[in-house]
Amino acid sequence: MLRATLKGMASRKARLVLTSLAVVLGTMFVAAAMVLTATMEKSVSGVIADAYTGVDAVVTRDTDGGGMGGPGNPAAMAIPAATLEQIRATDGVDRADGAIEGQVKALGENGKLVGTFAPTIGLNWASGEGQGDYIELREGRGPEADGEVAVSAKFAADSGFTVGDTVTVYSDTVDLESAVAYEIVGVYGLSGDRDSLAGETQVAFSTGDAQRLLTGGEDVYTSVYVYGDAVDTDAIAAAVGNDFKVQTGEEASEAAAQGFAVVSDFMGYIFLGFGLVAVFVSIFLIINTFTIIVAQRQRELALLRAIGAGRGQVVRSVLAEALIIGTGASIIGLGLGLLLGWGLSEVVSATMMGGLPVQLLIPATTLWALAVGIGVTVLSALLPAVKASSVPPVAAMREAVNPPKPLRGITIAGAIVFLAGAVLLAFGLTDNLGGEELTGILVGVGIAFVGVTMLTPILSRPLVALLGAVMSWSFSGRLGKLNAGRNPRRTAITASALMIAVALITGIATLVSSIKSTTSEALDLNLNSDLIVSGAQGGASIPSFSPERVNEIRALPDVDEVGDVYADFFNTKVNGEEAALSSSSDLQAALAVFGGTVAEGSVADLAPDAVVVDEGTAKDRGVDVGDTVEVTFSDGTAEQLTIAAILEGYDLTNGWWVAPDQVQHFMVQKPMQAYIQVAEGADVAAVQDEVDEILKDEPEVGVTNNAEFVEQQTGGLDTILAAVQILLALAMIIAVIGVVNTLVLSVLERTRELGLLRAVGMTRGQVRRMITVESVIICVFGAVLGIAVGIGLGWTVQQALEEEGLHNFALPWGLIATYLVAAVVVGLLAAIAPAARAAKLNVLGAIAYE
Amino acid sequence: MSTASPVRTTAVSAEGLWKAYGMGEAQVVALRDVSVEFASGAFTAIMGPSGSGKSTLMHCLAGLDTTDRGTVHIGDTAVTGLGDKALTKLRRDKIGFIFQQFNLLPTLTAEENITLPAAIAGAKADPAWINQIIKTLDLADRLSHKPTELSGGQQQRVACARALASRPEVVFADEPTGNLDTRSGAEVLRFLRTSVDDFGQTIVMVTHDPSAAAYADRVVFLADGQIVEDMAEPTADKVIDKMKHFEELVAAAQGEHA
Repeated sequence: MLRATLKGMASRKARLVLTSLAVVLGTMFVAAAMVLTATMEKSVSGVIADAYTGVDAVVTRDTDGGGMGGPGNPAAMAIPAATLEQIRATDGVDRADGAIEGQVKALGENGKLVGTFAPTIGLNWASGEGQGDYIELREGRGPEADGEVAVSAKFAADSGFTVGDTVTVYSDTVDLESAVAYEIVGVYGLSGDRDSLAGETQVAFSTGDAQRLLTGGEDVYTSVYVYGDAVDTDAIAAAVGNDFKVQTGEEASEAAAQGFAVVSDFMGYIFLGFGLVAVFVSIFLIINTFTIIVAQRQRELALLRAIGAGRGQVVRSVLAEALIIGTGASIIGLGLGLLLGWGLSEVVSATMMGGLPVQLLIPATTLWALAVGIGVTVLSALLPAVKASSVPPVAAMREAVNPPKPLRGITIAGAIVFLAGAVLLAFGLTDNLGGEELTGILVGVGIAFVGVTMLTPILSRPLVALLGAVMSWSFSGRLGKLNAGRNPRRTAITASALMIAVALITGIATLVSSIKSTTSEALDLNLNSDLIVSGAQGGASIPSFSPERVNEIRALPDVDEVGDVYADFFNTKVNGEEAALSSSSDLQAALAVFGGTVAEGSVADLAPDAVVVDEGTAKDRGVDVGDTVEVTFSDGTAEQLTIAAILEGYDLTNGWWVAPDQVQHFMVQKPMQAYIQVAEGADVAAVQDEVDEILKDEPEVGVTNNAEFVEQQTGGLDTILAAVQILLALAMIIAVIGVVNTLVLSVLERTRELGLLRAVGMTRGQVRRMITVESVIICVFGAVLGIAVGIGLGWTVQQALEEEGLHNFALPWGLIATYLVAAVVVGLLAAIAPAARAAKLNVLGAIAYE
Repeated sequence: MSTASPVRTTAVSAEGLWKAYGMGEAQVVALRDVSVEFASGAFTAIMGPSGSGKSTLMHCLAGLDTTDRGTVHIGDTAVTGLGDKALTKLRRDKIGFIFQQFNLLPTLTAEENITLPAAIAGAKADPAWINQIIKTLDLADRLSHKPTELSGGQQQRVACARALASRPEVVFADEPTGNLDTRSGAEVLRFLRTSVDDFGQTIVMVTHDPSAAAYADRVVFLADGQIVEDMAEPTADKVIDKMKHFEELVAAAQGEHA
């Protein structure tokens, strides 16, 4: 029996190759995702671990929370010089270097801040050997005196400066007005020939300069690196006392790597997510291929039954074939997956991680890819095998007709599953799941997704007929349409693979466009401003500018009104509950620009002990005009303030507004944004130029018109969308191969039919057109379903986030059109090989084909 | 049984056809210098034992297979040497086919199958003519049915209608009754006879069934790649009788080229 199986496989090479291809691809993507995740994690943590190579102990202040860059209290983080001396005096310590690290702001060649999205790190240049492993001078030298700096290669590239130029650097302690220019004396890279660790830019100062910028000039350090063969951490701990944490170099490396592991874990989840999508799509591909192949082998299997093979033997024969294909193809897929994972790691490292050196790691879990490949293949073959064995031999040996199975069962089951998902979703969206709404929504979406997939065969009938009607202008097109519709299950399962990829992309694109629409509506609806002064959001520091500029802008002849906004949101509270605080130098004027209205009370000339709040918040907190609330600012001050007015609900003005006098308690005591209302009939672009001129010495902010502002606020989303599209394109490739697979198998199955068509006068071109139309219909069907499901997905998430402020639902029409066009192109491409194969059929051979 | 028309032109002619399969020792010569003419408006049967080359001859005549030597004409058209495009057009416009099985497209209705060649050509079939065929074949109430909803005999009648729909120069039928019961087979053969008698259709039919051959005006016997007998006005008995002496005929033929 096994010999018959092997011989049968060998005689059907095309089918063997196509089935194997499905398994190879599925396994490959799983393995690649696993290798990529593990490799990126190891590479990232390897880099961080590098930082403490050669360091025998690291001493830091023992404080929990208040991470780097957070405002906290710098003094609480500091290690005094006396402690450094204590460390140096400890037995076994050969050398101890005080290090100072923190965030700084530097002006680039264009007068704006260097590094918008990642921070600029200031540190003191240590000439000791320890850092030598890690910092590699590329040009010039390290700073030897105050006023000199060395910069990282990424800083040099981003700022436009090079050795010999001067750069202005300021910080939270030293503001822009009193900032000093430093001479760049060197440019350095980081070990492994990198320009940056993870996108940040660096400036290295003399120890004195670093202390002035980062510790307010005190002789303190943020950490101490200890060197010595006989370093004893316990001895150091005993010497410095309880306020400090002493770690060995290895412990410090691990701790640092763990901090970064969050980043690589996040990336890992993303890639694993795509890996799972790839597997899911591949499962469709494998099941479909096997179902078709076993159906086509029905006669061969029936012959085996007729000559005395038992049902079990037939099933085992099919399973043996599946096992052989599954094992062989999975091993090939695993090998290719390892290569792909390695290649992807290099690409990710080069494009997203600043040229991080890749340390390939193949985790043991990669073997799961083998299990997935073999398991899915054998399971996919089981059902068709059992079905094939149950057909009476004589019936199967007659004409190889495979009448399409009725769709009632799967349709009813699909409808039930879909409804179950929808009900769960509805409960989740209407907050009826007792706190488990998000889980309920996610599970509901997943269940509904499975339901839709089960409904695809029944949906394929009207949709294929409709799509086909568009494409069947020629007779060969009409035949292609009929072929696409003749086996709804096959068409549906082939299209489903494409649907999944398209649905995910469309869902994310819908979400992005909804966010954009919500943002721009918030601006357009009530906002009377024409220009906005602001910094890029998502930056490492909070952008702000001098209040003087607001007055200068107000003085411009074509400016009617300017509403400025101050904000305080770090550990700020109202009546003990977290709440963001805002302020404006003239709240009444600001409200006019925002288009906000006062529902109750007055906002004119707010007294220092007055506070203003919007209706919604007031309702939530159960407060009204005249009530007193306790407001805690980020500097820790708490004040009893009386509610002077209630504002009508409106996004831009939601929250608590305090009088300008209270800004002194804010962490940032400068305005962060200003909204400018230009005089009626004035040239907005001209005013924008004037404001730009006023802001030329404000490195952190710029002026934008409303459309540019929306773009600026949501620009990051487009990047994410682009990245997601690229990754999902990989899943799409699998789906396309699934289409090719189905078409080739259909061509094989319809060999005699094609022979007949050619015999009665169909040209090769017409045959090609017929196959192409079928392919395009399947692809567009998948894309249409995917777009519909994706829109549903996006809508669901938007509904779930409505309370978080995502009010608008907007469809990404441009992208949807693009996906449809892409589906047509994909259909054309997928048809090339099968169509060529069909057109090349030898007519005589095809008619006689068994 | 035949009603010979007074003026007969040649619908299909073959001149010195040679066809061999395989190479060297394993080479099988399927056609050995075959020359034959088929008059238009006549029903000719090609008979012979398995491996005699009767199917090969038909395939070569119909432009489905290439010849090693010799020429084939259909009407005025020289089939030999035509490219795929021209052959396809020839098959579409001048030839009708009836096969033993799998004659219809499962996705199309009976009516659509009948007009298939015209549809492929992007032309409209002559409705009066189609109606006449449908009436003759008694298919009027089956037109909207799919092939799977038709009996074997009905399917083959639809195939006959398709073969005749474009008024081809010649209809080639390859064992048209091979898959049918006697009654359905007789119906098909009666129709082929009628189409020759009433519509002047030329038909070349390959068969191994003497009673099927008896419907023809003429039977050409093939053995070992050669024409060994040409019988006019056949009856089933005459054909059976001839077949009984077939071994002698074959021996004689082999003696000629040995």
